[in-house]
Amino acid sequence: MTQYELLQIITGFLGSLGFAILFNIRGKKLIFAALGGGVSWALFVLLQFLTPNEALRYFIVAVLVSVYAEIMARVLKTPTTTFHMTALIPLIPGGSLYYTMASVFDGDLGDFLEKGLYTLELAVALALGIVIVTAIAHTIGKRKTLK
Amino acid sequence: MKELLTCAMDIGEQMLVCGAEVHRAEDSVKRMCLAMGAERIDIFIITSSMVATVYTADGEALTQTRRINGTGTDIERLHRLNDLSRHICETPLSPDEIRSEYRKIMKTRVYPFWLECVFCAVIAGSFTLFFGGGVIDAIVSTVIGALVKLLGYLFGKAVTSRIFDKFICAFVASILAFCALRLSLVGGVDKIIIGNIMTLIPGIGLTNALRDLFTGDSIAGLLRSIEALLVALAIAAGYFLSTLIMGGI
Repeated sequence: MTQYELLQIITGFLGSLGFAILFNIRGKKLIFAALGGGVSWALFVLLQFLTPNEALRYFIVAVLVSVYAEIMARVLKTPTTTFHMTALIPLIPGGSLYYTMASVFDGDLGDFLEKGLYTLELAVALALGIVIVTAIAHTIGKRKTLK
Repeated sequence: MKELLTCAMDIGEQMLVCGAEVHRAEDSVKRMCLAMGAERIDIFIITSSMVATVYTADGEALTQTRRINGTGTDIERLHRLNDLSRHICETPLSPDEIRSEYRKIMKTRVYPFWLECVFCAVIAGSFTLFFGGGVIDAIVSTVIGALVKLLGYLFGKAVTSRIFDKFICAFVASILAFCALRLSLVGGVDKIIIGNIMTLIPGIGLTNALRDLFTGDSIAGLLRSIEALLVALAIAAGYFLSTLIMGGI
């Protein structure tokens, strides 16, 4: 792990902590919500030893973090959203989104398309991870109430 | 029953306002009404409106609708509303008891405004470093983050459009970043703007949109997706305008 990656994990944690405060998360939930942000980026970094494909890593991390959110929500008896949105914040492709916007001014259409598609790829991978876990958790929850 | 329905609707409405998914609000109102003795309940919620009809044991049908204005994110209040709704499902309370609990929840503490400014600054600074900015970039970004939060607050009081609000915030953040560049404080604007964009991006909007969309609440999910998309476009527009004014990169 490089020094920069370590810095990313720490700042990812701080960023999630900041959002957790803005969302008025308190007490024990605050710690676990912010921790989720650090953990999600740590997973992303560690997964590079498995695959260099960033979109695939995004997908795997989204799945793992969603599972984490579902579990924590049940343990602390609170809505899943609490952990879900805070933990996924470091994964928001803000950087590539910005460079996509900036490339508009360079007048290079190929560059714009390349960056735009890459951003889209990351966003879709992230969304897919969230959706799959949500759908599964939802189905399990429904079966429980039916019983 | 009428009063109980009103109470359940109040709780459901506030859940949505605090940032709950549609499914959670629908489910909570439904369970509460059934626990309080309704024969059947039909409820339909989208992000800006809710309709519920309750059928009582003696064949009466009661309907209430709500228009939901403005949504924010207040997880602590959502958590307490959720607890109250679970509590009602287990041991039914009288309307008066529910109302007094509800009033207590509505007074849930929020973090003081200065702390929100500080953490907005922390978010902006953190993500500047996260995306590869230097220490000086991060410091400039931190200052801009706090200023933008302050501006957003002042502006939010005057204008109710969240989309326009984000446009102005993104515009000011980018202008300030360009100013720092012109003053030769920093080598480039990109990391600073990225850090500040991260504070504006509708992350919660998107996760909730996806959760709604794929748990069967397609209309609510679509509404949320469009809103999140519009906010993202507003941020991009704010950035574009500032770049045009400051004469390109």
